[in-house]
Amino acid sequence: MLNFIIRKILMLIPMLIAISFLIFLGVDLMPGDAVDFMIPPDALSSVDPVKLEALREELGLNDPFFVRYVKWLGNIVQGDFGYSLQSGVPVAELVASKLPATLELSIAALIISTLFGSLLGVVSALKKGTLVDNALTVFGMIGVAIPQFLFGLIMIMVFVFKFQWFPVGGRMTPGSEFFFMRLDYLVLPALTLGLSLTAGVMRYSRSSMLDSLNKDYIKTARSKGLPEWRVNLVHGLRVAMTPVAVLIGFRLPMLIGGAVVIEQVFQWPGVGQMFVMAVRSQNTPVVMMVAFFSVLIVLVSSILVDVVTALLDPRVKLS
Amino acid sequence: MSSQALQKKMDDLLYKEDHGLLKENTTSRTLRKILANKLAIAGFVVFVLMIIMCAIAPLLTKYGPNAIDLRNRLSSPSKAHIMGTDQIGRDIWTRILYGGRISIFIGLGSALGAALIGVSLGTYAGYRRGMLDSIVMKVSEIMMSFPQIILVSILVTILGQSLWNLLLIFILTGWPSMYRMARSQMLSIREQEYIQALQAFGIKGHIIAFKHMLPNAIGPIFVNITLSTAMFILQEASLSFLGLGVPLETATWGNILNVAQDLNILREAWWVWLPVGLVITLFVMAVNFIGDGLRDAADPTQVG
Repeated sequence: MLNFIIRKILMLIPMLIAISFLIFLGVDLMPGDAVDFMIPPDALSSVDPVKLEALREELGLNDPFFVRYVKWLGNIVQGDFGYSLQSGVPVAELVASKLPATLELSIAALIISTLFGSLLGVVSALKKGTLVDNALTVFGMIGVAIPQFLFGLIMIMVFVFKFQWFPVGGRMTPGSEFFFMRLDYLVLPALTLGLSLTAGVMRYSRSSMLDSLNKDYIKTARSKGLPEWRVNLVHGLRVAMTPVAVLIGFRLPMLIGGAVVIEQVFQWPGVGQMFVMAVRSQNTPVVMMVAFFSVLIVLVSSILVDVVTALLDPRVKLS
Repeated sequence: MSSQALQKKMDDLLYKEDHGLLKENTTSRTLRKILANKLAIAGFVVFVLMIIMCAIAPLLTKYGPNAIDLRNRLSSPSKAHIMGTDQIGRDIWTRILYGGRISIFIGLGSALGAALIGVSLGTYAGYRRGMLDSIVMKVSEIMMSFPQIILVSILVTILGQSLWNLLLIFILTGWPSMYRMARSQMLSIREQEYIQALQAFGIKGHIIAFKHMLPNAIGPIFVNITLSTAMFILQEASLSFLGLGVPLETATWGNILNVAQDLNILREAWWVWLPVGLVITLFVMAVNFIGDGLRDAADPTQVG
């Protein structure tokens, strides 16, 4: 097992180098460079072009591509991710300050979608063909077809404007930073992101539950005279949860993408919102770091999925 | 059944078999299964209807998609404007129809483009294996490890915002999943014996791959194209909402929705964003139903 994990992590390294190269290449192709952003456009005409060139030289922007890439990679390995072109704050610091908000939202959404998704999926499978099952299936179909942000807008429309139960956006009112005091800010974004991911989990857990209910060992359990709930929940559920565990891992990229959109809808001050602003203003160091880290999260989570699957299902062989 | 009747039945079968009539029956099996699937049919009807409505947009509305009418800003649905107008007085119904042209074009076009690249690469590499396959596989692995929206946003800033760039970006980010699907199909098909027979005849690799193997994988490919169409339409909408899609002055479904970022419009003028949001949802649902129907129909283990 340990061997397997170590091998997976070692395989990650060339992959990450390739991805870092691609990201650097991509950002290098973005129009404008750091100097363009240091000087406001209206002042640009009055600045001596020779001085601009000297500044570029000093910052190393005129070095050959590969030299800049190796320098950049070296900095990253040492934990130096450059500075935001807008505020001058180190990118690492900037991301670190936004990360708790995004983590809070993502974890809440992950819990909501796992809970609702697997629960409703199992209910749907146990009640296969009934009204409950059909209703849930229809909800699932609508759930995968509705744009996430539209769902968020409808939530705002209903629960903020109509019923006025929740504040309209943001993360907290000044002075009440304590978690339970700002919980009302979290409810809507977390529900929106969570419920929009629920449909996929529900579909998946329904079919894997149905699958495992048809297996021989379920019949064995039933013929032993075990009560029906024990057959379903203890014997069926455990194996049915394996693919659902996989799905949690695969939900992470969707979760990152979803967070980008949902943070925008609810003005949630997280990494996603920062990323959108950075892309709009071509704040390259910030864009690079967010891209790099989102890939890292996806890759690491896929390793975790392999490991968890192997732990849950003894039939899976690690190779 | 008497032995005579059985004899006659066998004779009938033999006759049909000899004259190639049986084959016709088996090919229509997929079609029969789709036709029996009510949701898929409903989806298809909605899909076609919406495309027709967008195509004949000038007949269904007397306004232009970008005709500004400052005296009628944010007017609620009325006889003159059946879905009201937006913040600079453009008719919403008109913009939904014209926007549909672009949004559907982006969705379908990206899915077909991604399929063209992904499937050709997957078919050939899946049959040949070797260097080409492992290189393309690695590239697709790298591309798929990016969360879609992050990769797309970066590409949008590099290439700039325009309709054709968006199409190109969707194709660039969409082919890896098509490639993987086609490749895995090929890997299972190439184990079948008729492939060995073809190879023994000395038929060229690309002919085996594209002419003899690809048609057997066409079912999953079509399923994938429909589901990707739905996905790209949703992506266009989210990108436009973030302000990274097609330039805002072009009417697309996503761009119409973009104004809902303004809290006043969100609160006071539901007709600007809710109808178009429902149209997107309806269209995506219709396409998904078609895709699900195709999948069930192409799956031989499902009884029709």
